[in-house]
Amino acid sequence: MKKWVVLFRKEWLEMSRNYKIIWVPLVFILFGLLQPVTNYYMPDILKNASDLPEGTIIEIPLPSSGEVLAQTLGQFNQMGVLVLVLAFMGIVSAERKSGMIKAILVKPVAYSSYITAKWLSAILLSAASIALGMVASWYYTGLLIDPYPFINLVKGTGLYLGWIVFLLTFTVFLSSRLNSSGLVAVCALLVSILLSLSTSLLGKWMEWSPAQLTTAASSFLVDGRVEGPLFLPLVITGVLVVIFLFLSTTNWQRK
Amino acid sequence: MKIVEVKSLSKNFTHHMAVKDLSFTIEEGRCVALLGPNGAGKTTTLEMLAGLQKPTKGTISFLNAKKGDYREQIGYLSQHPVFYPWMNAEEFLLFIGELSGLSKAEAMKRTDELLEIVGIAHSKKRRIGGYSGGMKQRLGIAQAMIHEPKLLMLDEPVSALDPVGRREVLEMMKLLKKKMTILFSTHILHDAEEICDDVIMIHDGNLAVSGSLPELRRKYQEDVIKISAEENLEEWAKTIATWEVVSKVEYRDGSVEVFVKDVAAARSPLLAEIKAKQIPVTSFTVGHTTLEDLFMKVVGK
Amino acid sequence: MGLAEVNWALVSPLIGIQVILIIIALIDLSKSERTNGPKWMWVLISLFVSIIGPILYFTIGKRHD
Repeated sequence: MKKWVVLFRKEWLEMSRNYKIIWVPLVFILFGLLQPVTNYYMPDILKNASDLPEGTIIEIPLPSSGEVLAQTLGQFNQMGVLVLVLAFMGIVSAERKSGMIKAILVKPVAYSSYITAKWLSAILLSAASIALGMVASWYYTGLLIDPYPFINLVKGTGLYLGWIVFLLTFTVFLSSRLNSSGLVAVCALLVSILLSLSTSLLGKWMEWSPAQLTTAASSFLVDGRVEGPLFLPLVITGVLVVIFLFLSTTNWQRK
Repeated sequence: MKIVEVKSLSKNFTHHMAVKDLSFTIEEGRCVALLGPNGAGKTTTLEMLAGLQKPTKGTISFLNAKKGDYREQIGYLSQHPVFYPWMNAEEFLLFIGELSGLSKAEAMKRTDELLEIVGIAHSKKRRIGGYSGGMKQRLGIAQAMIHEPKLLMLDEPVSALDPVGRREVLEMMKLLKKKMTILFSTHILHDAEEICDDVIMIHDGNLAVSGSLPELRRKYQEDVIKISAEENLEEWAKTIATWEVVSKVEYRDGSVEVFVKDVAAARSPLLAEIKAKQIPVTSFTVGHTTLEDLFMKVVGK
Repeated sequence: MGLAEVNWALVSPLIGIQVILIIIALIDLSKSERTNGPKWMWVLISLFVSIIGPILYFTIGKRHD
């Protein structure tokens, strides 16, 4: 346990040395703020962009604050996931490639500690960034559109984080098995896109899918209640996270 | 006392066998060289000893503890040591010290000591990314011995260094061998002869020869008389090869090497022969084969 | 929409974050020895590609070894 803490501390020191600890949250806050601002100024932006004759009135109904927050979540699910996967693709594979992993495992350290310390730091930084981004979005939405109940924001974001934890665990798993960080990113993004697509297209067959959690989070932010399956995807997500985390911590001496 | 006993260790990769049925023991307090040409299986052997690779077959027992994790007892430096380039030397040693099971206070104490011992205390606050090869090697040795291991294993510790760095590291190893058992691999016999007590020669994953240096010298050493002359000695060399006292004659680079069983018995007849045949000798040297010759023989076969 | 109509109190945090990201990217660029692709290119991208320039540098341009 003491060694786990040493490894965990090292991850945070590294993330502060390479500024991940600053730029990842800032990116989410930026996108979080941009969404309500864009919604608010949309009529003006459209008016400026299109060469409409003087006096044309553009009527775009302002979306509800819940809808704005759901859109923020949608933004996070594209740009955000991309950023997180790229930020953590090399979390294990880069150290394997450089040989650092051997320098550590030759010390009396359990491989599972090595992996889980990395896994948890990636998840904590990502979750904190997403939470900060959502709070930023919530604050501006309240200023520009309508105040929104904070407790619903917390619940909706929490649901969404289930999907993120799944994706990050899968990324760590890939990183522990593949030597190329680029390949890790491609595979992780592919799985993320395929799961999201199939879940929205084949809803009936994909009720178990972790991607249901993003749908659930969106509908909760808009309506205050979850449309569609919730319990099953939550359980499946939990099981998948445990499985992939377990697989990441085994069998590193492959040769 | 035996510190490590390796029994019929083998390692198969998909396309070749890196190590074949290798057995040896290491006695506590000795400095042992694992000697062999490149590709002989030295790194694979060391990595198996360090627990970084699983043997396909065979056993490694450490201090008679048949199974279990003995990583706390060993220090290991890989051939191309790597570090976190964004850390400084002090941070890195503290990190590795705590990973090795030291308390924070112990790790700090050892870090300070080792930075002095390996002579990089003056740059302990500099990013490792900016270190020279020699400094990295010294930091590598420091991280390997931070927890005062019983056995220190170094993979080709000097081969990547320039002459100055090489000398520094060799001198450091001479000091270290007074305190702990050292096993290091090298493809340079000279380094092995300079600092180690025992040699394990491997070739193509097989054990070729092993033993203490004096023992090997005694066992494999032959007396040799080297004769050069102003004329070609090749024909003459063939005539003396039949002598009772001569075991082998080799003609190389214009001189004759006469391997003899007994120098005293061979010297006079040879000199007499030279005088009788009026051979214009330019040099007549009595000596013996070196480990280099043994090494070349092992590698050559 | 004229400049006067822009609610600066609203927009300035966005600009502030953008500036911080650019500064961090430039600091990191000045410290790192190698990047994926030429360094000057990443300096230009970080400075002039609006919003995502520095993000592109951190995710793609920076070497993580």
